[in-house]
Amino acid sequence: MGFFQKWSDKLSGHFEKGRPLHVFKSLFDAVDTFLLTPAAVTHNGSHVRDAVDMKRIMITVMIALCPALLFGWWNVGYQHFLSVGATPGFWQAFGFGFLRWLPMAVVVYAVGLTIEVCFAQWRGHEVAEGFFVTGFLIPMIMPPAVPLWILAVATAFSVVFAKEVFGGTGYNFLNPAIVARVFVFFAYPSVISGDSVWIARPGTCDAVSGATPLAVDVAQIPSDWELFVGAIPGCVGETCKIAILIGAALLLFTKVADWRIMLSVLVGGAGMAAIFHAVGMTGVPVLTQLLMGGFLFGTVFMATDPVTAAHTRAGKYVYGLLVGIIAIMVRVLNKGYVEGMMLAILLMNVMAPLIDYCVIRIHIRKRKHRIARSKV
Amino acid sequence: MTGNSIKIRQGFDLQLDGGATSVVEPYATGRYYIRPSDFRWMTPQLLVREGDSLSVGTPLFADKRDPRVRICSPVDGTLTQVVRGDKRRILALVMDAKVTPPGSSVIEVPDNPSPQQIRDILLQYGLWPALRQRPYSVIADPDGTPDAIFVSCFDSAPLAPDFNVLLKGREAEWHEGIRVLRQICPDVPIHLGMLEDGDNALFEGTEGVDLHYFSGPHPAGNVGTQIDFIRPLDKGDVVWYIHPWQVAAFGRLILRHTLSYERCIALVGPAEPRPRYVTMTYGADLSPLLTPDPQGRAVRNISGNVLTGGTLGEFPSVGFYDSQLTRLFEGGEREFLGWLLPGLKKWSLSHTFVAWLAKRKKFSFNTSMQGGERALVMSDVYDEVFPMDFMPAELLKACIAKDVEQMEELGIYGVESEDFALCEVVCPSKIAWQQIVEEALHYLYEN
Repeated sequence: MGFFQKWSDKLSGHFEKGRPLHVFKSLFDAVDTFLLTPAAVTHNGSHVRDAVDMKRIMITVMIALCPALLFGWWNVGYQHFLSVGATPGFWQAFGFGFLRWLPMAVVVYAVGLTIEVCFAQWRGHEVAEGFFVTGFLIPMIMPPAVPLWILAVATAFSVVFAKEVFGGTGYNFLNPAIVARVFVFFAYPSVISGDSVWIARPGTCDAVSGATPLAVDVAQIPSDWELFVGAIPGCVGETCKIAILIGAALLLFTKVADWRIMLSVLVGGAGMAAIFHAVGMTGVPVLTQLLMGGFLFGTVFMATDPVTAAHTRAGKYVYGLLVGIIAIMVRVLNKGYVEGMMLAILLMNVMAPLIDYCVIRIHIRKRKHRIARSKV
Repeated sequence: MTGNSIKIRQGFDLQLDGGATSVVEPYATGRYYIRPSDFRWMTPQLLVREGDSLSVGTPLFADKRDPRVRICSPVDGTLTQVVRGDKRRILALVMDAKVTPPGSSVIEVPDNPSPQQIRDILLQYGLWPALRQRPYSVIADPDGTPDAIFVSCFDSAPLAPDFNVLLKGREAEWHEGIRVLRQICPDVPIHLGMLEDGDNALFEGTEGVDLHYFSGPHPAGNVGTQIDFIRPLDKGDVVWYIHPWQVAAFGRLILRHTLSYERCIALVGPAEPRPRYVTMTYGADLSPLLTPDPQGRAVRNISGNVLTGGTLGEFPSVGFYDSQLTRLFEGGEREFLGWLLPGLKKWSLSHTFVAWLAKRKKFSFNTSMQGGERALVMSDVYDEVFPMDFMPAELLKACIAKDVEQMEELGIYGVESEDFALCEVVCPSKIAWQQIVEEALHYLYEN
């Protein structure tokens, strides 16, 4: 502590304006405030402040993602060994998955953070923490077999065109992690669809594997229990519903994510699934729909992004309901786009400002009526 | 209990150490400071020069917008210095008193004064500025008549003084003060906002007023909150508001024909070793009372409460509208990997620190910012601390954009920067809410 403090005091002068290292000021600030909480004190307005800041909120989200990530490491390895006909030990599977995930995470963070730091320096801002969560999410929602160069291109695309061109974290209207995935989905469809991509292939032998549940007939879908436990092929983060629910509990408990969005996505999804099931358009029952694919992961970690979701309270219910409804609609009606959740969230990200606009207009009208009433 | 009852659900009370005991001590000094910055957006026109001798009630400066509005000398003595800052802006008037304590002077009040005569007397002796108007929280227009007058009879801010202590022995002056308000604004309703389970005997006995009982956390005692629940403001509406102890000052002038700027304040805060009430004259130099911390920690002295008060610098006296002085330790200590630690001793309304789980009650508050400024990300934490019928985050965005139409539609005229103090406290993005709202209001006021 004392060591870092001294180090920070000694170096900070070199990064001030006019000094040679000023071009690295944002980077220095990022490292400095990563190690030590900022020294700033209040100078106007409220003299005391809540201890929470964006770093704390982002780290809470990352901790909430950890159960799903840890399970994902094991599952990637487990699925790989299954596909080559072996039965791995726990640590063997876990280690394999970790080594599969590590290069993805390194590439995503290296590309994303470099761009973030450059933009922050250019704008004269501090580096916003948003990308720590985005970078954590991207490897968790990509197929384990995605080539690293595609991952790098997708990350760069999403950081620049989904976020920084609009002003950075807080100003973006699309969820950058979903944009990265959608970019791969449309630009390189071969690496994200088909039967085998959800299993990390060994370098030499191109193994054949079971199909992902979303692309097959009802009869081939794993049981609800298997879907719930999650030892099935899929993205790193999405398969284990138990781990996702642990993360959801933490997010709700700490009030970092809004329960209104989570609840209404589930209600919307369940309602739509029930309707489709009732009219016979799909044989998949409601619970299975909710447990399949990335629906739950999207509900808990993606739809709740406070920046890209609707900002108003009433708007959040509408936003959530429509995310759930559209996700199931896409999934059932269009067999080509098997994963409806990401498209639903992205579409509703675009619609969220419109929902907010309507809520604000209603508020303004109600306010006018209230004032008129109080004058009588 | 005969008035209507209003429950405030959003908001919270900061549990700061160092609340005042009921000890009331007199305090007198030979030096006095008056800061024109106490009066919002006022451009002062000096009416005296350095070296002039003063008596109680000598006008010191007038408002450039309306020269009838003036601030008067609280003491007999000399104007020692006019301290100026950048662009010759007057920072403070320094006065030395001839006698300590400064005492009072007797004034002439006609029998059965007319409303206009009362207004003139209040203006002449510098008491009129106690009446402020919404929107804008500027001094009330001396020729105007408001749609209503509001008096909040309790302060719910952290470590706020008990108004019963401030008004002790001044009950008759309070009743006379309310009569003064009714005379200068006939037929204008006067609304008293009281704490539902507080000691309201004095206020309930007031004649010719509407009583309203509030319960719930801060900002239940903010006059802005009470206005919005009792009579929400529309564009073009004007209401006046005033502190109860300033009502009593009106009463003293008219009832006792006595001009005195004596008042009682609460000296409180975690950094104050002996929290108590102090009676003094407006403008009194408080430096002898502001003892340094025995352990050598830096202390910030705030005129007002920790949510909205102003930091006292070189000229420490309690502001014109303030009835408390809060002493808080300076923060700014750096913590290794603070964003990752469990945070057993961290106060947060969010549940992201373990202290919440441990149900910790006592926290040592200081002036640390606790983070860096970011864009607005969490849009719903503000609704939980903002009881008024507004959309705080949307209004803030309109204020930042200086979008006049949107601001008006969202009800900007019904709010004041202090109403957003709690939003500012809980803001994870560390946005300067009060400053932004005040700037937006100033923008509207000037255009």
